Amino acid sequence: MLLRCLSLLLLLLFAPAAHANKLMAAGAHGDVAKGSFAVRTTSEWNRLKQRPGKFQEVWTIDGERLNQLTFFGGVPAGQPLFHERDKKNNPLPKVPTDLLSIDIAPLLQSTYQTLGSAVNFEVTAQKPFDMNGRKGVRFEYRYVSPEDEVARMGEAVGAFHGGKLYLVTYEAPKVHFFNRDKAKFEDIASTLTIQPAK
Amino acid sequence: MSPAIRALLAGLGLLASAAVQAQAKPLPTYTPAYEPRSVDERGMWMMADEYERVLRNSPLLIKDPGLQRYVQDVLCDTIGKDRCNSVRIYLLEAPVFNASMSPNGVLIVNSGALLRLRSSAELGSVLAHEFAHFELRHSLEGFKQKRSMSDGMAWLQVLAGLSQTNVVSALYLLASSMYQFDQEQEKAADMLGLDYLAQSKFPSGSAADVWRNLMAEHDATAAGRKQKAKHSYRAGYFDTHPTSLARATYLAQAAVAVGDASEDPERARHAQSLGSALPKLLAAQNGLNNFAGTEYLLSSLAADQGWTPDLLFARGEMYRLRANPRDMVTASSLYREAIDKGYAGPEVHRNLGLSLLKSGQAPDASVHLKEYLRLLPDAADRDLIQTLVQQ
Repeated sequence: MLLRCLSLLLLLLFAPAAHANKLMAAGAHGDVAKGSFAVRTTSEWNRLKQRPGKFQEVWTIDGERLNQLTFFGGVPAGQPLFHERDKKNNPLPKVPTDLLSIDIAPLLQSTYQTLGSAVNFEVTAQKPFDMNGRKGVRFEYRYVSPEDEVARMGEAVGAFHGGKLYLVTYEAPKVHFFNRDKAKFEDIASTLTIQPAK
Repeated sequence: MSPAIRALLAGLGLLASAAVQAQAKPLPTYTPAYEPRSVDERGMWMMADEYERVLRNSPLLIKDPGLQRYVQDVLCDTIGKDRCNSVRIYLLEAPVFNASMSPNGVLIVNSGALLRLRSSAELGSVLAHEFAHFELRHSLEGFKQKRSMSDGMAWLQVLAGLSQTNVVSALYLLASSMYQFDQEQEKAADMLGLDYLAQSKFPSGSAADVWRNLMAEHDATAAGRKQKAKHSYRAGYFDTHPTSLARATYLAQAAVAVGDASEDPERARHAQSLGSALPKLLAAQNGLNNFAGTEYLLSSLAADQGWTPDLLFARGEMYRLRANPRDMVTASSLYREAIDKGYAGPEVHRNLGLSLLKSGQAPDASVHLKEYLRLLPDAADRDLIQTLVQQ
């Protein structure tokens, strides 16, 4: 037991820097969400160490509650969008095998509602989106976070390809932040490339 | 724990039984425009007032004057017009069953409670319970009890350190007593709430019905998730409330002792008053990924008011969102039934079209998707729906 504790302590002390938060400089990034996406950014972002699930990666500028870019890198059918917090009592909805582009926004909505992290969720626009040759969807939404009672807005692009969901969401408080950084997300969305696992 | 330590704790008033007995006194006479009297109470009211200022502008507030008036009326019908005017009711968007009361007279009711309560009498019982917390000054008593407990625990550890005595069991008892006190307060509020209900036009048996219905919903949810439903009479160590089974039992026993009518004379009033708010409550419930629990709630509502177009649409949504292939067939027939019964919202054609599309009935799907776009030419998803319509 003592040996195990010591090993854990050493591991924490000397853990490689790759697991820490990381500055993502403006330019090309070809290894986003474990290589699922390649993007080109026009401004700096910070990649957070903590991931909300196995397939996700989160970027932010000022902090995740102020501007949050979440890459869902190929969530397979049958899996939830986020890591299950209470699978027994509050299971999250799973990605269905026959997901249509029009089902992506409701899946995100239901996931948030089940987690209790959104009320008054409303999809305000949905349009077809071409994700480097794959048919997908671009949608806008808004909701209120119960934990801080802040009205947030979001924009997302997603596509279901090869039995996996590729989705990128940008969310920020409606006041000040959403519109300020929206163009930075749109730059990313316009250069987004899916890189399915080989 | 040794009898000496037990006697010392009891003497200091730190055990729950002693503390609760101390407040088991006659009800305070109702005082209009009551003002806080002690330093502790003034402090609590000041914090509660500040919270209320924030609450007034919360984006979670349900701004529905009709619904607000209905809940206020039920409160007045239950506890009397003199008392109810001291309460400000806030309805919050939160799809779980809950209500709460602040020491300054703020009563919060969750949207999840409005959906789950089946009658004005059941709503009245919940509101009366919350008002009882206010009238019995439970927030203040609870605060003082927790402060005494934590003081006692700190001193006990100091004394134990000085005298080299093991006081783990005493600390355990004190911590347990803190939660026991919360449970006793809940029970006291239940019983006073029942007294209010008994002297109102509502049947006092409705208070127990609330907890029976919640247990039944819990059972349905557990069965849907292939789990074994458990109901315990005894609350857990860290529980602040008695269990649903305990509450249903002692409230039912008390209602029998009251011996008033068992039928609510205004059973239909609740469904009528929810009115236009119901579709939104149902949509929020459908977003919780709880098929069996939602089915139970919908069936309960239908048992009272029949399968209305709103309930049929919500049931169709429930099946469509679960999204098994067979669910799409069921969803389609429920949407069609909702249309036949007069559901007028364009979204029913959209969702029927999507269900038919997933059932492999593309021509029929196109008919309904086109109808949706005809009824809602500025639809937010117009371009996307167009891609699904057969040309």
